[in-house]
Amino acid sequence: MTSKKSMKSAFESMMFVWGEPLDVKLAAEIFNINWRDAYDCFKELEDEYEQENRGIRIREINKSFQFVTPEENIEYIERLCTPVKHKRLSQSALEVLAIIAYKQPVTRGEIEAIRGIKCERVIEGLQRKELVSEVGRSTGIGRPILYGTTDVFLKNFGFKNLKELPDIEDIEGTINSDEPSDSVDLQQIALTLPEK
Amino acid sequence: MGYKVKLGIFEGPFDLLVYLIENAQMNIYDIQISEITRQYLSYMEAMRKLDVPMAAEFMVLAAALIEIKSKMLLPRTAPSEEGPAAEDPRTDLVEKLLEYKRFKLLAEMLQQQEEQGLRIMEKPQEDLSVYTGQPDEYLDLDLRQFVSAFNLFLRKKKKVEEIRKHHIRSEKQRITAEARMADIRDFFREDPFREADFKDLIERKDDKYDIALTFSSLLEMMKEKKLEAEQKYIYGDIKVKATEFLIKGESDDE
Repeated sequence: MTSKKSMKSAFESMMFVWGEPLDVKLAAEIFNINWRDAYDCFKELEDEYEQENRGIRIREINKSFQFVTPEENIEYIERLCTPVKHKRLSQSALEVLAIIAYKQPVTRGEIEAIRGIKCERVIEGLQRKELVSEVGRSTGIGRPILYGTTDVFLKNFGFKNLKELPDIEDIEGTINSDEPSDSVDLQQIALTLPEK
Repeated sequence: MGYKVKLGIFEGPFDLLVYLIENAQMNIYDIQISEITRQYLSYMEAMRKLDVPMAAEFMVLAAALIEIKSKMLLPRTAPSEEGPAAEDPRTDLVEKLLEYKRFKLLAEMLQQQEEQGLRIMEKPQEDLSVYTGQPDEYLDLDLRQFVSAFNLFLRKKKKVEEIRKHHIRSEKQRITAEARMADIRDFFREDPFREADFKDLIERKDDKYDIALTFSSLLEMMKEKKLEAEQKYIYGDIKVKATEFLIKGESDDE
């Protein structure tokens, strides 16, 4: 049987060549080991790169691993290459995305009920960006389409998996705890609004 | 109470209402409905004056606000009467607003996450065909891509077929008017007194080029007084007869 050391080395090479997130399942099959062992190898590698503060890091997305650059180096990368203009999501797109991320699988009707306005176009836009996709049909009347987030969403927003999304209760807590003295804090929110 | 109207920044009626409530520094659990309704309606009025089209959803919320306002005017049932005190008419709205605010905050959180995510670079997958060393490719297509690829193939095939048709036709175009006229002459010399239908002179009746060629040959031969033709009515059959000139005039032919 291959030693763990050479296996980890092989995983590194595979990730390098693969570029895209490499599925742990695929890597495990190649060595004919069980999934858990392969996953641990990747996790160890991730830690090693992290601890040594390397300019390449390993990122986990939905049980796949990939080489990426650390956040703090973006400045130098941008100096090296012409900065790419990243189009950020609009406020409404972010709201719809938040609803889909937290309520998935969710129908358009449910999204619209929360936002109080039609969201068809926004959802289409998110689908085009491959951040959300149709994940099935509801059993309700008319069998409406159910939407969910994709791996691209996890990747672009820096989540390893959906469990990593901050707790909805925590966010709610910040509203509620503000409540007694909300006048000060809410005013700050109101001031930031017109910048949209 | 004055407030600044910011145009086009509200993502929906709830967004506007949340803004108004926060701007007025009201407690979301104790909204002063009449004041907020007044502000909401004057905002809508301002938008209407500016001819900004407002989504119907804004109207729906305006109606809901007015409904709540009117319910607030009614005396609430005294607690001593049967059952618990009537529900605060604002409860529904407050719940919806809280739900909306929650996702607004989550959206802000996502925005920060996105900002962070944009600072991380990944490398796209390179061309791996050099590693596989085998010519066979694995098609990584979903059904929709496959269907569109197939449609593209069909369209291409149709085009090629059309080009082929043209190609064959162009070969046949080597049949010249002269050749056709010779054919017609031979046709009548076999039996000088036959009265033929124009259609009989055409070799390939489904071929427009052949029809046109035969027709122009006929006209040419009529001009040379070698043929006589008659059509009794429009779109009717054309009867063609040879003249003496055609039958006897062999020696004239070049």
